[in-house]
Amino acid sequence: MILTYILIALIAFFGHSEDFLGTTLLSRPLVLAPLVGLVLGDLTQGIIIGGTLELIFMGNIKVGAAIPPDVISGGVLGTAFAILSGKGPAIALAIAVPVSILAELVVSGLFVFRSVLNKKFNQYADAGDYKKLQWLHILSGLLKPVLMGIIVWLALQLGAAAMKSFLDMIPAWVQSGLQVAGNMLPALGFALLMNLMFTKNMAPYYFLGFILAAYLRLPVIAIGGIAVVIAFIITQNKTEEAVDDDDFGEETIPESPRENLLTRADIRSMFLRSLALEANFNFETWQNTGFAFAIIPALKRLYTTRQQMAAALKRHLQFFNTSPYGSTLIIGITAAMEERNRVDEDFDEETISSVKAGLMGPLAGVFDSLFWGTFKVIAAGVGASLALKGNLLGPVLFLLIFNVPHLLLRYQLTFTGYKTGTKFLQDLAKNKVMDKLTKGSAILGLMVVGAMPATLMSVVTPLKIGGGDSAVRVQGVLNQVVPFIIPLGLTFLVFYFVKQGAKTTWLLLGLLALGFIGSSLNIFA
Amino acid sequence: MIKLTRIDDRLVHGQVAFTWVPSLGVDTLLIANDKVAKDEFMKMTVGLAKPASARLLIKSLKDAADLLCDIKSTSLKILVLVNSVKDAYTLAVAVPAITSVNFGGIRTREGARLISKAVAVTDEDISLMKEMLEKGIELEIRQVPTESKQLVKELL
Repeated sequence: MILTYILIALIAFFGHSEDFLGTTLLSRPLVLAPLVGLVLGDLTQGIIIGGTLELIFMGNIKVGAAIPPDVISGGVLGTAFAILSGKGPAIALAIAVPVSILAELVVSGLFVFRSVLNKKFNQYADAGDYKKLQWLHILSGLLKPVLMGIIVWLALQLGAAAMKSFLDMIPAWVQSGLQVAGNMLPALGFALLMNLMFTKNMAPYYFLGFILAAYLRLPVIAIGGIAVVIAFIITQNKTEEAVDDDDFGEETIPESPRENLLTRADIRSMFLRSLALEANFNFETWQNTGFAFAIIPALKRLYTTRQQMAAALKRHLQFFNTSPYGSTLIIGITAAMEERNRVDEDFDEETISSVKAGLMGPLAGVFDSLFWGTFKVIAAGVGASLALKGNLLGPVLFLLIFNVPHLLLRYQLTFTGYKTGTKFLQDLAKNKVMDKLTKGSAILGLMVVGAMPATLMSVVTPLKIGGGDSAVRVQGVLNQVVPFIIPLGLTFLVFYFVKQGAKTTWLLLGLLALGFIGSSLNIFA
Repeated sequence: MIKLTRIDDRLVHGQVAFTWVPSLGVDTLLIANDKVAKDEFMKMTVGLAKPASARLLIKSLKDAADLLCDIKSTSLKILVLVNSVKDAYTLAVAVPAITSVNFGGIRTREGARLISKAVAVTDEDISLMKEMLEKGIELEIRQVPTESKQLVKELL
């Protein structure tokens, strides 16, 4: 068992290493639970639990310093305890939710602690010692995976036996209540997503997604495909009235023909290093050391004296925070400005900091919406629908749908940023590309979210009207007229409360209670 | 109608475009900032992050205050963004309709201390905040709408 526990702790370590690996969703339950299942010899169960947990935590997003529950520790421990004690996804869920909330406190504490290290980073920058700075970034980054790995290991080593005997004591009616409640909880995830995407204007797309799934029984991946087509058609025919502040005029940043000092290898290296952007996230200066870490290949190529290097390193230890998915665009643009600073004596270094600061917020808005609001939603919709059936393609497609566009774009943006500088952004602004993109991706995201209650939630009613042979099954009638109306209704009920400002924890408890009561009164199954 | 007045030193970014705008259901994003209003480059970058569902207005503090006091703006659902406590104060003094100010993110800098994980204020900020509290304006900290409000008066 000792080896098994160590392997599971390593899975938690791996999940937390996501901050080094490009925030590529390796931390999600849909990826980690199957790995835990593999270690414990029940891959299929791991995949199913992964799909279930992914749905519950679906509305959990990481934007800015708003730290969501730690789904890594929660998901890994929940899956491990459920499989070890031979229980199903409902038990995994019952453990994962509270554990992830507790673990979040530890992670937040670590983000506060890391601020202390900023002094050390600044000392290294003052000395122009980029090597030590790099190492500190990596070491401090490792703190999170190591610490959380140890916590998970301790929990297994000390708690597995007690947890098993505790879980064995749970009576059958609690189990079945938990089962029904667990089937209802995705409504919370869907409602939280809707809260981000659902507007009156966009509502038709939501219902289109629902109808395609509920009546035509199309799989999520097909609905995603249809949504892409619709999004293209809509954004091409757009002749909407322009808004007030689109009069950007001509930019005055001079475009002088320039010789590229950075090699392709330098730029590739910046892309690879950008994957560790969030490794040393802290609550004082956020991704600053990650940015410095990523731009070091350019600084090494451009600056030869210790003073120059020190000045540049200090410049890049300033506060920084953006969406990791579009970070390379800013890194590329910054590298181009550093290059100008190197060749042009009159160049004002302050420009570098102010352009960086000007871009980080808006671009975070663009890329967070695109990746969290669209790609993640589609990836999770397709992935979870397959995983709930125990299909290994679930986690695989989940990672591919998100990361193929993510990594291609992230790689390309490094070059775009460096080669065209801010001109690329000016072109985007002029051509209204962003408008089309946000509109199109909103359609796409919302149609898939609309399909979710019909494809990812299984709550039915065993109610019958009348008695004996002439009894009419209510669910049978519902299926003919409005299939999946119960999941849809629950989702909208939760959405209503979310809009009223209800706290997530209360909604979670409310759904649990509804599941228990509904199951014991035989209203829901 | 002002749905929210928010202090965020990054102005429009992920939390704003992706969580606040949809969750408040606003149709207008008003950036009140003297510097951005004059800076074409900043205007362009902010324009990129504009969510599809809202229109974007970038005004100087004075113009923003005029707009918010204008009776015509009551039909709009507005999210007002400023990037400092000082600007929030200026606006709150000029616009009686501002009864609550949300503190989103203010980064640490020389002479400032953290009062919450993403909010750092200087002594000057604190005296302005106290004045706003005395005027009966609610000051609350929330980065995203799903968090519960942390009241500033309990932290000072």
